[in-house]
Amino acid sequence: MSAIEEKKAKTDSGAGFILLFFILGLVSSLLTGWVAFPKLLYSQKSQPFDFNHAIHLDMVDGCESCHFFREDGTYAGVPKLAQCIDCHEEVQGGTEDEAIFVEEYVANYREVPWLIYSEQPDCVFFSHAAHVKSGGMDCVTCHGNIGTSTSLKPYEENRITGYSRDIWGKNIAGIKKNTWDRMKMDDCAACHRENGVKQNSVQTHKGACFVCHK
Amino acid sequence: MKIGRRCFLSFLIGGAAGTALTPLPWKLTDDLSIWTQTWPWTPVPPDGEINYVNSTCMLCSGGCGITVRKIDDRAVKIEGMKDHPVNNGGLCIMGLSGLQLLYGPRRVKEPMKRVGERGEGRWEKISWDAAIAELAQKLNTVRGSSPESVACITDESFGTVPHLFKRFMAAYGSPNLMITPTIQDSYEQTLKLMQGVDGIPGFDLENSKFVLSFGCGILEGWGSSSRMFQAHSRWTETGGKLVQVEPRLSVTAAKADKWVSLNPGTEAVLALGIAQVIIKDGLYNKDFVEKHCAGFEDWEGEDGKKYQGFKNFVLEAFTPDTVARLTGVSANMIQDLATNFVGAEKPIALAGRGKGYTPGSLHEFMAVHALNALVGNINQEGGVWTLDRPDYIGWGEPAQDPVAQKGNGTPRIDGAGTERYANTRSMVNTFAEAVNNGAAVEVLLVSGENPCYTLRGGEAVKKAFEKIPYIVSFSPYMDETAAGADLILPNHTYLERYQDVPAPFGLPIPIIGMTRPVVKPQCDSKHVGDTLILTAKKMGGSVRDAFGWENYEACLKETLGDLWGTLESDGFLVNADYTPPAWDMAFGDESKKFQFFNESYAHGNNKDIFSQLRIEGDPGAFPLILVPAESMRIASGPVADTPFVMKTIPDNVLKDKEIFVEVNPATAAAYGLRDGKSAALSTPAGRARVRVNLCEGIRPGMVAMATGLGRSANSRYIANKGVNFNDLIRPVPDPISGLDSAWGIRAKLERA
Amino acid sequence: MKSTNTQTKKYGMVIDLDKCTGCGACMVACMAENNVPFKENESNKQDSITWLRVYKMDNGKPYPENDICYLPRPCMHCEGHAGHSPCVSVCPATATDYSTETGIVSQIYTRCFGCRYCMAACPYHVRYFNWWDPVWPEGMEKMLSPNVSVRTRGVVEKCSFCFHRYQLAMEKAHYEGREEIEEEEYQTACCQACPADAITFGDLYNPKHKVFELKQTPGAFRLLERLGTNPKVFYLTSRDWVRKQGDNYLKNEGQVIAKGGH
Repeated sequence: MSAIEEKKAKTDSGAGFILLFFILGLVSSLLTGWVAFPKLLYSQKSQPFDFNHAIHLDMVDGCESCHFFREDGTYAGVPKLAQCIDCHEEVQGGTEDEAIFVEEYVANYREVPWLIYSEQPDCVFFSHAAHVKSGGMDCVTCHGNIGTSTSLKPYEENRITGYSRDIWGKNIAGIKKNTWDRMKMDDCAACHRENGVKQNSVQTHKGACFVCHK
Repeated sequence: MKIGRRCFLSFLIGGAAGTALTPLPWKLTDDLSIWTQTWPWTPVPPDGEINYVNSTCMLCSGGCGITVRKIDDRAVKIEGMKDHPVNNGGLCIMGLSGLQLLYGPRRVKEPMKRVGERGEGRWEKISWDAAIAELAQKLNTVRGSSPESVACITDESFGTVPHLFKRFMAAYGSPNLMITPTIQDSYEQTLKLMQGVDGIPGFDLENSKFVLSFGCGILEGWGSSSRMFQAHSRWTETGGKLVQVEPRLSVTAAKADKWVSLNPGTEAVLALGIAQVIIKDGLYNKDFVEKHCAGFEDWEGEDGKKYQGFKNFVLEAFTPDTVARLTGVSANMIQDLATNFVGAEKPIALAGRGKGYTPGSLHEFMAVHALNALVGNINQEGGVWTLDRPDYIGWGEPAQDPVAQKGNGTPRIDGAGTERYANTRSMVNTFAEAVNNGAAVEVLLVSGENPCYTLRGGEAVKKAFEKIPYIVSFSPYMDETAAGADLILPNHTYLERYQDVPAPFGLPIPIIGMTRPVVKPQCDSKHVGDTLILTAKKMGGSVRDAFGWENYEACLKETLGDLWGTLESDGFLVNADYTPPAWDMAFGDESKKFQFFNESYAHGNNKDIFSQLRIEGDPGAFPLILVPAESMRIASGPVADTPFVMKTIPDNVLKDKEIFVEVNPATAAAYGLRDGKSAALSTPAGRARVRVNLCEGIRPGMVAMATGLGRSANSRYIANKGVNFNDLIRPVPDPISGLDSAWGIRAKLERA
Repeated sequence: MKSTNTQTKKYGMVIDLDKCTGCGACMVACMAENNVPFKENESNKQDSITWLRVYKMDNGKPYPENDICYLPRPCMHCEGHAGHSPCVSVCPATATDYSTETGIVSQIYTRCFGCRYCMAACPYHVRYFNWWDPVWPEGMEKMLSPNVSVRTRGVVEKCSFCFHRYQLAMEKAHYEGREEIEEEEYQTACCQACPADAITFGDLYNPKHKVFELKQTPGAFRLLERLGTNPKVFYLTSRDWVRKQGDNYLKNEGQVIAKGGH
């Protein structure tokens, strides 16, 4: 074998080896990015106790019975203890969660530290009245079918930002199938653009920043 | 075959390509940018239900209505109460930032007892029970020997809290309750002497069409500042005129239609010079002067002596030329002022300089008030009114045991209420001097006041307070007096307590405001009313018997009776339709007349009585005159500026920790002073290092310095910045009232 | 989803300098309303954040002809030409923007990366840079309002005409089924607080709003009008020297114009 041939053969087997390493790198990074990263990025937290939306919705008249607008048009969001006490002064049903609620919170008049899945950053101004009352949107469009859920899913907190995973969406690639899968700025902007809502920015000819920021 | 560099690189390239095919880089970038947008240590204010609480501001005696915006149970903003009779929605700079006092770093968080040296700042936290027991025991011990050696300095005259202090001192047996006097006291004495009434003044300024102000800081915090601002705006709309007489271009002078600069301390002379022109030209209101006034013409007294009346006294002694020479105001200008004043539709003349913290010269008040009488605007629309003092507190006198009787029978250490100063209630200005001259004060109680800062006299005040063995402060904030006290029993702030706030200065309608708990107490503080009641109960005996109420709130509700309901729901109670008594019913003296002069204060027609104010100091050694420069942006009373208000102080008033003084460029040139440069300022009372601010808005020969700075005890935002004006001036007792009349002091300014 | 576009508005302010007493209430009302930070030493006015600053003007004459006037200076919310205000034109981050709905120049702190081009571009010095992270003494963070974002170090901030109050007023309108708000429903904190009633705020386009008439008062002027910034804050004064200081004139300019027969 000539020196040249020898070198070529060596290179041939080397090329295979190099390809192997390329694939190794590719696969491991894909695994890291798609599988390990989401697991590392989010920490799982559980709510103070479980809550069954479905049971409550059967007994009251729609979401607004508990998640209501105040007289000044602001939205009360997650109910305060004072509202729950109206019915839960004493234990109503037989669940362990309700017992925790009554004993630990109602009895001590302590607000429940709920973890809020749809909590937006401080820079965001969101008007429920604008969307629900004027825009005629329903709760499901953004919040999904939470009203028919029988228990609360674990709260996944982004270790870097501190916000819920529901804002970016369950899908780590950010792909959404339903309108309620994501709550990022782009999602708000896209809907505003489609519907021609307040496209009043001089800089971008899209929605001006003060529409949704404060 | 070995794994070489190429394999490694290939692995990296594969990794990079793979990573690019995952959401990792984009997601990580997004998350990191969100992380940097609101750092974990950036506070995120919690959201909640917006709700409002109406109350009354107590940061000064203006009695403005406030509406506090809350988010759930957090107070986030104070605003002026809409349609409130005092401030009608407006609010001053301090009132707007009151939450910085409530939530501020210098709250006294619990009762504290001094453990280190005085003023060293070493305290021991004690329980309320222990604190009250200690105070009660101390007071009982002193009571055994000399109850009159307990003194008390407090801020307000009216309302239940000052009455509780009066009651406490009366039952205890000490006459030495000192309520800090202001121009209100001087006006009350003016009304007493000239109108024979025991009342309080009201000024119908909203309807005045020509305001002649003798140095009143109408736009610097005189009375209820917001009300004054609104009145001024109304004048600009309706063509009302404001003439400001003072030697410095203050904000009021700048906003006035005419600024008349004069020699400092000659305000009374100018007022009488104007009166002279009015009388000489026969321009006065003859209907009023002839039918409803006494002492205008010469008269023969019951003692058979001849007295010169106001008319001839003024005509002889205050000719335009004389007045021009004394005041530095031209004779033409005096003539103009007089004709414009009497020619105006509804003229009013006002006295009481600056913010009104210095009572001033009573002769000045009387000379100015004589102008009001000459135009007959007493109890008329747009004029000076009299109102009754608030009378809803009907507790009766507490029973006094023999100890109390003996103590109350001793003379006051400040000399108020003696034959010489018969109409004067209290003279805090003489307190330091009295103590230094040996008056025995074993215990000093201080509430709502901050004498270690506000009392004038510098070293003398410090020396006096060092001599007092036991000082108790009820201040909610660690102010100068609290910092030098032996025991602090912190009161709630005005945003945490109930209290009635009656009769703001100068308002022409009777009003009672109420302050209420806007938030629950943020510290382990106690209402000063409760502290007094509990201390009395602990002391036992007749002192206990004088305080039958269960607590302050019960006392307040019982006292207000039917008024409580309205005050609780509206936050104030007003008689908006009040009209003052007509001329034939207005004057309380035997003659039922307005007294230009009478035998008791004509002083044998001593021409000097209305002459220039005495300005302390030797003109040879101290060629200049130092006067205060008061501003809405620097609180100069017991409570210091908040951090927000500190931000509004211009950098030619305070730069870093250095204070500036205003000097006219001509004066500066004469003393070799340059703009912005350091200088040494000295007065007979003290000295300070300052910087020079060349200013065309001040009369040559004068120096003006901001008041309200130089606080030694406070948060780092305020403390040790600038110089305390009160350390550079000394009180000068007024010859009639005995109250402090010093507006300026002789000074020297040298290059440093 | 229904679209909810309201009528075009142009919010602006008219400030009566004859009424303004320079008391500073507007400055503090603004600070308290907008979570403006404060620090130990605020006497360096170049780094002291005051969205609304009251300037003291002086006629420059010697005693006793000397006169002073106070001039409150919020953000002018310049319209420039078609919304291209000086700051909006230079912002590379779209952090500041001009809304054609309200005429308000917005500043989005989370978008800003602190290049400070806008500060250089603004002829009115209304923009302030956060050189430090804001620090509230313990307990004082309780008075922070949730309606305005708290800023961090490294971003520019400025007066927003209390835009959050517009948001809240609109929210109430939406709730009540209205598309528009009344004049008194949206007022800035400075305007509300001014004890002298010197500040009037409203829609400059709306003939029912007080500012509509006031801005046409003879002698009403705007600051540095000749730059073409087209600001939305108007000033009223009876003093000519004040009006004259509101813009830059050449030394003998008035005289030249007079000779030209204008």
